[in-house]
Amino acid sequence: MAQCILKPDLQFAQELRESGGENLKKCFQCATCSVACPLAPANAPYPRKEMVWASWGLRDKLRGDTDLWLCHNCGNCSDLCPRGARPADVMAAARTIIYKELTSPSIVGKWMSRASGLPVLFLIPTVLWLVVWWIRAGYNNGNWFPRAADGRIVFGQIFYGDYTIDPIFMLTFFGACFILYCGVRKLWDMFRPQGKLLVIGKKKSWFCHLIDVLMEEVVTHRKFDDCEDGPITGKAPSNRKWGHAVLVWSFAILAFVTAVVALGHWGGKIIPVIEIHTPMPLTFPVKILANIGALMLFCGLAVLTARRVSLDSANHGSSFYDWYLLGIIWLVAATGMLSQCFRLADAVKPAFVVYYFHLVFVWMLFAYLPWSKLGHLVYRTAALVYVRMYGRS
Amino acid sequence: MSNAILVVGGGFAGITAAIEAAELGHDVFIVEKSPWLGGRVAQLNKYFPKLCPPSCGLEIQFQRIRKNPRVKFFTQAEITALSGCKGDYTVKVRLNPRRTAPHNVDFSLLASSLTGKTDNEFDFGLSMRKGLYKSMPFAFPGRYVLDTKTLSKSDAARVAGIRFLETAEEPREIVLNMGAVVVATGWKPYDVTRLTNLGAGAIKNCISNMQMERLASASGPTGGRIVRPSDNRAPNSVAFVQCAGSRDQNHLNYCSYICCMATLKQCLYLAEQNPNVKITVYYIDLRAPGRYVNVLEKVRAEPNVSFVKGKVADAGQAAGDRVTLTVEDAVRGEKLTLHYDLAVLATGMQPSLAGENPPLPLPMDEDGFIAGGEAAGIFAAGCARMPLDVTRSAQSGTAAALKAVQTVKGR
Repeated sequence: MAQCILKPDLQFAQELRESGGENLKKCFQCATCSVACPLAPANAPYPRKEMVWASWGLRDKLRGDTDLWLCHNCGNCSDLCPRGARPADVMAAARTIIYKELTSPSIVGKWMSRASGLPVLFLIPTVLWLVVWWIRAGYNNGNWFPRAADGRIVFGQIFYGDYTIDPIFMLTFFGACFILYCGVRKLWDMFRPQGKLLVIGKKKSWFCHLIDVLMEEVVTHRKFDDCEDGPITGKAPSNRKWGHAVLVWSFAILAFVTAVVALGHWGGKIIPVIEIHTPMPLTFPVKILANIGALMLFCGLAVLTARRVSLDSANHGSSFYDWYLLGIIWLVAATGMLSQCFRLADAVKPAFVVYYFHLVFVWMLFAYLPWSKLGHLVYRTAALVYVRMYGRS
Repeated sequence: MSNAILVVGGGFAGITAAIEAAELGHDVFIVEKSPWLGGRVAQLNKYFPKLCPPSCGLEIQFQRIRKNPRVKFFTQAEITALSGCKGDYTVKVRLNPRRTAPHNVDFSLLASSLTGKTDNEFDFGLSMRKGLYKSMPFAFPGRYVLDTKTLSKSDAARVAGIRFLETAEEPREIVLNMGAVVVATGWKPYDVTRLTNLGAGAIKNCISNMQMERLASASGPTGGRIVRPSDNRAPNSVAFVQCAGSRDQNHLNYCSYICCMATLKQCLYLAEQNPNVKITVYYIDLRAPGRYVNVLEKVRAEPNVSFVKGKVADAGQAAGDRVTLTVEDAVRGEKLTLHYDLAVLATGMQPSLAGENPPLPLPMDEDGFIAGGEAAGIFAAGCARMPLDVTRSAQSGTAAALKAVQTVKGR
């Protein structure tokens, strides 16, 4: 008989505890959680098996575990857990560690893992944009708060799109995309089972599966409804579907607006008909859409923040990752709205200062995306695609 | 000053403490809330260690009470106030009216002719009782109780003129002077309506282990035939849900100690009655302390009992009034959703005082168990102190009696 030697990795278990799974050792393997989870499949359900792997520190088991990403963190398991071991938090902590290890350079992941890394994360873009400001102020005869020739406030005077914002953000965006691409490749390699996989019948390409995931799960947020089908916990249900969905849709709208503006701007240089001038007037359709997106962003954020604040601390914890993401989106949304208000109110100094911070926070949101909780946007989607390709969904 | 000992609660621990103290020559007063002595043991079909019916062990205890003039007891009695200090307690006791004459009168014919009914709390709602009732054949004292609230109009007219019935009897209050107190207030089954994920008591044919005892009991609602409450048919498949509320910080944050053994015992009841029954026990850990491991081995050897490691965390109603249970077999890593004719929730024991505000100066832990109080001459016994089986409950009764005796002696 083949002998299996378990090698407990206590350091990994400790890491999990520090990343939000501090109660994992309370688990006594009763398997309530696997039943509590309506998403867990009948065959090898989660999160009980993840709990035992976590307490033994079986790093490789967790890294190769697609189920970690099937979990949508509704918290039913933690509500019903008889020991307060908080399986939902342990699953989230395991995902967090995987972001951290998956994504290089890993030093960013280290800064991202605790509040003490925040100053460094913050300092990088503040210096970056301050240098830009300083250089551009030089172009404006040393005036840090210049006005356009017609007296309006135009942020482009300082943060000139063509030479500052666009190149920096394009670099950041495509850099993040590349890092995520490498991460997804690594993730899929970790998932791949040993030996050969035989698929009987028609095989769909990963791209078709991706479209399916986006249409059936991301757009509709169907899994969030499925999360409600668990056993009755007797605790007040806190459906995150609408808060999360509104937030995701607002992200999609804002991404679309950004793409349209970029296309109008750069494309306009070639085809003058589609040119878009910024700042756009408030009645311009793209601007209206942008403001609708911003409003939705606020609504979704408010709902999710209120939910997180009201979580029963006996069963649910909120880690630095959770607060970082909510915090940074709040700051992006708030500075974005405020800079527009100051610009329209003709307050030149506050407008520029707030806009500067807006750029800092937007940069943080995008540049650190692969290491932050927002990484789940890509990694979870990738995992869901993988799961469909391998028939566990 | 007084050398008498007050025993609160007339269950197995309480009567054992009372008899032991009385046999050492002390005056003892038992105050029991229900109309009869015997407590939870009286509700069981069989009890450990020898799996004899409750009448067996309780009869001996009742004999000892009958023969010992030093033991006095009040049933349907509650303590309303306790003041004073160790050696000199003044206790106020409220005696609720029994409304029947103070000697044993056989009211069985009269009782069966009455029409008004209410849920029988002794059978945990599995049967109805009349306004004039005696919950068990071996009841001690062997007196009926007249519950005027349950009488219908015609019943009231029927009992109005009967000798030996005092429909107008009022509650009374008496004052006792006591030297020491033994608190043996016992336990109550954990309230299934709080187990929301297990159906909160609303699923048909999903019963508690204490209801199972009543079903199996010869003096129970079915005369000892274990059947489904919905259709009175013998079940062919039965599931036991262990730790239903126990070892759970959302419910009872401790192991109730007796539920595993109760389930093993009930497996034997079922196997005895129906050799074709298929039984599955879902557990987290099976706890068979000490020599009870022999019982575990015996039940394990039964061909129709299987054990699955995994806690049932979801229960629902299936077609045909069957019960659907969902559980992960934690050894095989498989989530099972299965239907059973009958499901038994092995609910745990909660101290009777939990959530109550007893008029006794008792230090209680967060679960409602009595922790300490001995310096004040108040001694806890039985399941009021911790979850215990009958044997250990009796031992703790003896221990409390000895401590109480030492408190009042030598003064």
